[in-house]
Amino acid sequence: MSNGGNNFDKARRKFLAGLGMGAAAAVGQPAWGGEIFQDAFADFFQKDYRRMSAEEIAAALERIERKAKSRYDVEIDCQNTPPQQGVVYGYAINISRCKGYRDCVYACVKENNLGRDSQMQYIRVLQLDQGNFNLEHSDHYYDPETVPVEGKHYLPVQCMQCDDPPCVKACPVEATWMEPDGIVVVDYDWCIGCRYCMAACPYWARHFNWTVPEIPAEEMNTDTHYLGNRPRPRGVVEKCHFCIHRTRKGQQPACMEACPTGSRIFGNLLDPDSEIRYVLANKQVFRLKEDLGTEPKFWYFSD
Amino acid sequence: MRMSRIRNRVLGSNVAHPLSPTDPAGLRTAAAKYLPLAVMLFFSALLSAYAQESADSSQALRFEGYPNAPTFSVVPRKEDLFFYPCDQCHESMEPNPEIRQLDAMHDSTLEHGRGRIWCTSCHDLENENFLRTLLDEPVDIDEAYLICGGCHANRQKDWTFGAHGKRVANWQGDRTLYNCTHCHNPHSPAIRARAPKPAPPVRAGLKLERGVVHEKSPNWDFREEHEDQ
Repeated sequence: MSNGGNNFDKARRKFLAGLGMGAAAAVGQPAWGGEIFQDAFADFFQKDYRRMSAEEIAAALERIERKAKSRYDVEIDCQNTPPQQGVVYGYAINISRCKGYRDCVYACVKENNLGRDSQMQYIRVLQLDQGNFNLEHSDHYYDPETVPVEGKHYLPVQCMQCDDPPCVKACPVEATWMEPDGIVVVDYDWCIGCRYCMAACPYWARHFNWTVPEIPAEEMNTDTHYLGNRPRPRGVVEKCHFCIHRTRKGQQPACMEACPTGSRIFGNLLDPDSEIRYVLANKQVFRLKEDLGTEPKFWYFSD
Repeated sequence: MRMSRIRNRVLGSNVAHPLSPTDPAGLRTAAAKYLPLAVMLFFSALLSAYAQESADSSQALRFEGYPNAPTFSVVPRKEDLFFYPCDQCHESMEPNPEIRQLDAMHDSTLEHGRGRIWCTSCHDLENENFLRTLLDEPVDIDEAYLICGGCHANRQKDWTFGAHGKRVANWQGDRTLYNCTHCHNPHSPAIRARAPKPAPPVRAGLKLERGVVHEKSPNWDFREEHEDQ
C-alpha cells in the first residue's frame, strides 16, 4: 500500500515538474519571472477561500495576476476588498421604465470579463406580453427593429442574491456561500463544476463556463476581485455577484451605471435613508417566484 | 435690483441649490464666497416640506425640497446648451408674449402639454437666461427640476428620493443626480424607441422556435382526471 502511495507521489511530482518544464520551454524566459512551476504547485494545494490565511490569500491573488499576464498578456489588479460593516445590498428594477435595450447585458459582459466567444451572459432581459407574467412564455431572444415593442413589457433577470439561497445548499463542496453583505459568491478555484447549483437555482441565474473565456487584451477589465470578475478557468459555475469589486468600494454595479433609463436602483437595505428603502416603502414591489421562499434581495416595481 | 440679486445667486451657486429666499440679500452675496459652508447650511436646514412664504411679502413662494430627503447635487448642463446664454440674441430683441409659430433658431413644434403650455410657461420673459416657476419666480437653467415639479410633482418627489431618474457613478457617498432635462427633452419629453443590443446566441444544439406552447401535455389533462371522481 505504502509502496503504491510512493509511486503515486512520484508520478505526481514528475507530472507537475513536466508541466512546469513544458510551459517554460514553450514560452521561453517569461517576463513575469518564470514562476510557472511554483504557481502550478501552489494552485494544486490552494485551499477554500474561507480557510485561507491572509498570507495565503495574498499569494493566491499574485498567482491570479501572473496567470492573467501569461494567458491574456494584461496586468490585472486582483483585489480582496472585504465587505463593509452594516451593509446588505438590495436591488430594485422599475419595470415600467425598462425598455429592453439590453445595454445592461453588454455592460455586464465587458465589466465581468465574460468570454466574448461563449457569449455567456449573466443578465437576461425577458420580453413578456403586456399584463402577463407567465415566465414560461417569455422570450429573451427578441430582436425587433426598435424597442419597446407595442403590447410587450420587459423584465431583466439576473442573480437574485437570495437570502436563503438554494444553490448554496446544493453545493457538495461548499464552493459557494453568502457573504456578510448578502452577495452570494463562488470560489472558482474550489468549484468542481458539478452544476448541482444550476439545477437548484429557480431563476436560471447560474451559468457554466464551457470554454476558457476569450477576451481581447484591450477589452480586459483590470479591476478585479477574487470572488468576482477575475479571469475564470474553464469548467466552473459563475453568476452575477452585484459587481462585488465595484459595490464594495461604493460604486454602482455596471448594469446600473449602463442603464440609460435609470430603471435600476441599488443600495444598502440596512440604511433607512437609502434609495432602495424608499422604493420598498413607497412602491408596489414584488419578487419573482416569491412562493419558493428563497427570499431574493431583488425587487421589481412599477410607477 | 432684482436682476443683480439673481445674477449673484446664480454665479454663486453653480451647485444645484440656491440659497433660501428667506435669506437677506447681503447674506446671499457673502454666501457666494463661503459657498461650501453655505451649501452645508442649506442642506442641514432643508427647511419646511413645501414652499415657504417669506417674511418679505414681495418675494414669491419657492419649493425648498422634502424633509428627510437625502441631499443631492445636480449635474450642470449649461455648457452643453448650444444657444445658452439666451440673452446673446434676446438682449437685442423686444420680449413678445404673443403665442405664435416660431421660425428661426428654435424648434417650431412643442410636443409637450398638448397645447396647454407655451414658451413662457417655463421660460422667463424678462430674464431670458432663466426659467420661471408657475408663481413667476426666476429659476436657474440647472435647476430645471423645480420647473418640472410644478406639474409633475409625484415624479419630482420620486426623483428627489431616488426612485425616478438616474444617480451618477456611486451608490454610497455624495449623491449626484442627472437633471430631468438630461433624459427628457423638455420640448418633446417622450422617450423615443431605439434599436436593442443584439440578442443572445441560441445555445449550441438548441433551436429557436417561437409560438410553441409547452405547458399542456396531450397525455394528461387536469379536468379529465377530476371528472372520474
